[in-house]
Amino acid sequence: MSSKPSFRDVFLKGAVIFNPVLVQLVGLCPVVAASTTLQGAFTLSIIACVELIAICVLASALMKDIPRWIRVPLYFIFGLVLICPVLWYLETKTLMNLSLGMKIYIPLIAINSVVAVHCEQFAVKNSVRLAFYDAAAVGLGASGVFLIAGALREILGSSSIGGIPLNLPVTFSGMLLPFGCLVLLGFMAAALRAFVLKRYPEFAEISETEKEEEPKEEIKEKERNLAEEPTAAEPVAVDIGFEIPEIVPEEQPSEEDIKVRTESEIDEFFKSLGIDLSEKGDEQ
Amino acid sequence: MKLITDLFLTAFYTVFVSNLVLGSGFGISEAIRVSTKPGSFGRFAVMISGFSVATSVLCSLIDSLPFASKFNYALRALLYGLVLAAVYIVVALAAKLVFKATDKFMSTLGIAALNTLVFAVPYINNSAAYSFAGCVGSGIGAGIAFVVAAILINNGSKFIEENEEIPEAFKGRPAMFFYVAMISLAFAGFSDKNIFG
Repeated sequence: MSSKPSFRDVFLKGAVIFNPVLVQLVGLCPVVAASTTLQGAFTLSIIACVELIAICVLASALMKDIPRWIRVPLYFIFGLVLICPVLWYLETKTLMNLSLGMKIYIPLIAINSVVAVHCEQFAVKNSVRLAFYDAAAVGLGASGVFLIAGALREILGSSSIGGIPLNLPVTFSGMLLPFGCLVLLGFMAAALRAFVLKRYPEFAEISETEKEEEPKEEIKEKERNLAEEPTAAEPVAVDIGFEIPEIVPEEQPSEEDIKVRTESEIDEFFKSLGIDLSEKGDEQ
Repeated sequence: MKLITDLFLTAFYTVFVSNLVLGSGFGISEAIRVSTKPGSFGRFAVMISGFSVATSVLCSLIDSLPFASKFNYALRALLYGLVLAAVYIVVALAAKLVFKATDKFMSTLGIAALNTLVFAVPYINNSAAYSFAGCVGSGIGAGIAFVVAAILINNGSKFIEENEEIPEAFKGRPAMFFYVAMISLAFAGFSDKNIFG
């Protein structure tokens, strides 16, 4: 990333190319478990978007000097402080009939991995303005997935849209389970990947972040295997334009020759010092 | 004896019958990300179980207060959240100051403690009206369920990476989504949920 990314770059990458749900696989819990209706998905996406923007801006403005292990619970607590009044308002002051699932899943947005990942990866490393752009882009990207998944699940699973019955001849209640949503997300991720491959092929493989972050254990194991495995020196035919003459080794002296020569050289050396080794050996 | 039976039955139910990760979607993002690091599965199982048990027990104590039945979901969420945050901060402080934990360990601790799975366990205990032993069992089960999900995803992702017949657009994330969907469907079968109709 360049030092000053433009709004277009941040938006395109945050919302589309590196979509938080379909590419980065963060924030799956609310979409998989809770967005079974369009209304539910809309509520979740609004809350998630507002919370993400607020916490990313806060993290960028105030939390840069705080250690990471303290920052992460702070995101969660700030998220709760933002979300609980909204839940209280929805629960008591509006006629919106929240399901039990929604009452449980709305607070879970406070601990959503999208917030922690984007605050840590982007917000605390950039200016407030850029953190706001990134959070807005990521929030819109996640909200888009929430809404599409919610609408399709309601149509296919409950034969209605926004509470209005469609009276389809067949309903597939499996779509209301996490299984159904994961299948939908698979198709949506494939459509996004096809789009990125066509329009932005340079990002197609970069977005596979897990391949970049190869586990250290695996790298170590590979290094160990390489050190242990004998390297097979396979002959490789390379045309270099001329023939290398065959190298014939010179005739080497036999072991017996070496022994005799060495013993005689040692005798001569000691004789030069006035010591006769052969005589001493005989005496012993 | 009843305590032990409750504990094991709840743990078994949480892992196999209604796997909280694959059957309900709690902590599924973390399970997919952790699945690429098989060396850390044991650590995650222990940490998630520990945080889930501690949070569940403390939250069940709050729920046992005489006026707790008047709490609405918003207040309950705030209390449960503050309990979880407090448990994490105490453990993190101990790890950092007493045991001089590395940054890598602290990062693992953060992922294991602050995720939707650990936060959802007290809610599930409350809505299912589990006993004290049941709360402990569901906490332990949450950690095991997480690791079962991570192991299953890890095994499948190896086959997905090696498979050359997957169309280009479906390689990587899309194939992973379909694979996780199939495992999720298997767990839906265990829990006797209706798929068609």
